[in-house]
Amino acid sequence: MAVRANPDLIDDLERFGAKDAMKCYQCGNCSAACSHSEDPYVFPRKSMRYLQMGLEKPLRSALDPWLCYYCGKCSEQCPRGAEPGETMMGVRRWLTSEYDFTGISRLLYRSWTAELLTILTVAMLTGIGFLSFGYLGGGGNLSVYDGPGAFLPPHAIHVFDWTMGIILALLLSINCIRMWHFTMRSEHAVPVSLSLYVHYLLLLPLHFFTQKRFRHCENKTPWTNHLILMLSYLTMLTLIMVFLKEMQSGPAVNWYAHSFGYLSAIGLVTTTIFAIQGRIKKDAAYHRHSHESDWMFLGLLLFVSVTGILQHVLHRAGLPMAANITYVVHLMGVVPMLALEVPFSKWSHLAYRPLAIYFAQLQQAAQAEGAIPLGRPAKPQPVA
Amino acid sequence: MRESAKQIREGSVKSEPGTDVAESEARIGVFLLRESGEASPALDIPALAEYATHLPGVIAVRTVAASSAMDPEKLAADIRKTKFNTIVLAANHPGFYKPAFTRALSLAGYDGSRVRLASFAERGDVANANRARATLLSAVQGTPFAPEVKPAPDPFNTATLVIGGGVAGIQAALEIAESGNKVYIVERTGTIGGRMAMFDKTFPTLDCAACILTPKMVAVSQNPNIELLVLSEVQEVSGSFGQFQVKVLKHATRVDAAACVACGDCARFCPVTTASEFDMGIATRKGIFIPFPQAVPNTYMIDPTYCTWVLSDGKKCGACAKKCSKGAVHLDAKDETVEIAVGNIIVATGYDALDARRVERYGYGTYPNVLNSLEFERLTNASGPTGGKIVMKTKKLNKKTKLEEWVFEPDGPKPKAVAIIHCVGSRDKNYNPYCSRVCCMYSLKFAHLVREKLPEAKCYEYYIDMRAFGKGYEEFHERIREEGVFLVRGRSATVTDRDGQLYIHGEDTLAEHLITLPVDMVLLSVGLQPSEGSAELAEKLCIPRDGDGWFRELDYNSEPNSTGREGIYVAGVCQGPKDIPDTVAQASAAAAHALRSIVAAKAKENASVPLQTISEIAGSPARS
Repeated sequence: MAVRANPDLIDDLERFGAKDAMKCYQCGNCSAACSHSEDPYVFPRKSMRYLQMGLEKPLRSALDPWLCYYCGKCSEQCPRGAEPGETMMGVRRWLTSEYDFTGISRLLYRSWTAELLTILTVAMLTGIGFLSFGYLGGGGNLSVYDGPGAFLPPHAIHVFDWTMGIILALLLSINCIRMWHFTMRSEHAVPVSLSLYVHYLLLLPLHFFTQKRFRHCENKTPWTNHLILMLSYLTMLTLIMVFLKEMQSGPAVNWYAHSFGYLSAIGLVTTTIFAIQGRIKKDAAYHRHSHESDWMFLGLLLFVSVTGILQHVLHRAGLPMAANITYVVHLMGVVPMLALEVPFSKWSHLAYRPLAIYFAQLQQAAQAEGAIPLGRPAKPQPVA
Repeated sequence: MRESAKQIREGSVKSEPGTDVAESEARIGVFLLRESGEASPALDIPALAEYATHLPGVIAVRTVAASSAMDPEKLAADIRKTKFNTIVLAANHPGFYKPAFTRALSLAGYDGSRVRLASFAERGDVANANRARATLLSAVQGTPFAPEVKPAPDPFNTATLVIGGGVAGIQAALEIAESGNKVYIVERTGTIGGRMAMFDKTFPTLDCAACILTPKMVAVSQNPNIELLVLSEVQEVSGSFGQFQVKVLKHATRVDAAACVACGDCARFCPVTTASEFDMGIATRKGIFIPFPQAVPNTYMIDPTYCTWVLSDGKKCGACAKKCSKGAVHLDAKDETVEIAVGNIIVATGYDALDARRVERYGYGTYPNVLNSLEFERLTNASGPTGGKIVMKTKKLNKKTKLEEWVFEPDGPKPKAVAIIHCVGSRDKNYNPYCSRVCCMYSLKFAHLVREKLPEAKCYEYYIDMRAFGKGYEEFHERIREEGVFLVRGRSATVTDRDGQLYIHGEDTLAEHLITLPVDMVLLSVGLQPSEGSAELAEKLCIPRDGDGWFRELDYNSEPNSTGREGIYVAGVCQGPKDIPDTVAQASAAAAHALRSIVAAKAKENASVPLQTISEIAGSPARS
């Protein structure tokens, strides 16, 4: 069946950061240079071609962009300056907005002002919410940080963060199902049996925790940084979601809980500063181009880490009121960051990437099982 | 007055004698106009008036104040009274006042067109009294301001300098020399012939390159109008079009060209061996050498960077001088600077191949059997190190250095698969952004040579776009395709060596598959870039270069040979990548440019009418 071309696709993708794709003359150097590109997932040239021709449907059903980790080797070698690496990044942003059923992702990616305004609004609402809860709801005292009469008692925060966590997970799950629908149910995809889905299920946690494919890139530094950042964040998330009481207790340092917190705080701050520095210096191909959403994410992450550390320090320093105020400011960063980034923006890749690897493996396994060549319709299409 | 004008229009007034007067019957009134403000001090009005009264046909001379509101009727009254039928209006800018006089003549019943202008300002140098008188005289005589009175032309040198002795330089030099004019060729290497002399075959006709070029080279050596300066470089250029003065540094060949018979005895005894530049380093030569057997001039020369005698300040060796039966070797000869005077300069400095080492991922310089295109030209050339056999390099112990080296031997192993990579360093913003124009076609030629000489070998071409734009090129492309060459659309990304086997990895963009092929030899179709020293030469010649470093033509479409400077022309690849037919055509065109000025200068010199000077004309008013 013929594919309908959308000539405006390239203009749309420009807003997502794929600015130079039209320069590409399809030499294929990028695909051959890439250490992840392997039959049948040959990229980035093919995705660039879809983009140039406005083949929206094949692009939407492609897993290739998620198999790229943007080491930048393709962009370095590109004879045309078409920035295949950045194009793949742009396609990933576009795919995120396509998977998202609410349309929020599309709005945030395409408009810098909308993103900023949303963050500010959510931050203000969070601030007002927690302040009014502290004064009115819990009847807490601003000068008490910990124990009875605390301004923001851990059990109350627990209720809030678990509610928020469940809502975000739900939103992300819906988007993941849409991703599955676009990629695994496309007309070119091979039907996969349930037993295969179960057989390869362990791939998901494996790739989620290790990101071992990233290590195949020639330059290992980005993988190391990414892994430290991710593990630091996961540790911190676990501490907050499960051990918040221990974390908030004080002013004495509770080494059993706090040592983990300190390690992950160091990991978060150093990797974030490293990433910001790289993007300012533009010394590597993968840092040369920064979308507004990249800056927003790094800025929020740094803000959240620094305020988190500060409220902890202020509490230990015997300044409960300052610690409480910083805590509220900290939450004003955390809530918009998680609420916007996880289901609608950059952080959704925590789900999409392992899923794409899983789906790609399933496709290959199913193809081997059924010996149906990839790239052709699984069953003959009825003539319209 | 209105009435008389009407009568003239209606033809009712009978023509007075003088409305159609012959020159002998001219009754001329000279009106010298005094213009306020800008009157030149040299414009001596009374003197000019005095001069004018004696000119033949002049009835009267009037000196009037110039004014934009001159009354034609008053002038007509004067004309009628004095019976002028012709008026000479003399001023710096007399044209401004002409309408009033035209009308006055008509009103007086004469032909209004008989107003002649003597414009002092238009004739240049207003300070020259003789020139003012000559201007007035030509107006009175009714002859155009004599073209002969232009100052005598500057002496024009009819000799031409051609920089670069490749096929472009040879073609241009022959065109000019065969028309009987002097040509100097300055060539940096030891022979003319350039890159084309290295080639085996030309595309798309597969003609033998040497069979086309060597007769032209011999013609150069035999033409008495051509003076050939090899091992020479242009050092300084002064003067301008017609009179260039060029200083040329002539490195000593240390062999007397007149005495040397190219017997080769000297080289046999020379203890020094080094890589041959002509063979692109895949063969060796001696310290005293001839670039290749058909070199022009056909003379041996000494390379002072390797010569034992030169390096030891004459203390060691000297075998060549001792063995030469003609006594032609003069080891102590010195470099000299010669000055040549020419009228035109043709620049034909050609190109260098891109250094493939820069594109690291193809392993050139690391893997012995990755060759660049010029190396392959020498390998496949019958006069090359293997006699034209396409073989792989083999490891061999160098007895002198005791090191193992990779060398071409005529009986070396034949490659079973050869890959050719297009666009190496071309169409790539990291190297040369432009298309080098010839690589697609020479790569197809290579594929043909591989298939012809090794029919059992596979040949793969990795291309991005196949540019077969010339006459017969598309047909050539199709022919090669039919000969069983595998054309892969996609630029390969890497060449790797695993256990002595080369692998080439790239995407076949038509099949959308990544392919890895084991091959024995990889040929890199490297792009062309301006030859070394182009920037310095452009500076010496004061001619512009474009962004890619090629010499810039004056106009892309209409003046592709001219540079920004009159008398300096470009020919061949130094203006931009082009194939042999285009190079030769452009060289002939450059020669035509030079010949145009040479022929014009000679015509002036030979003009039969002697040139008159201003004072001669002005001093002989009664000449007519």
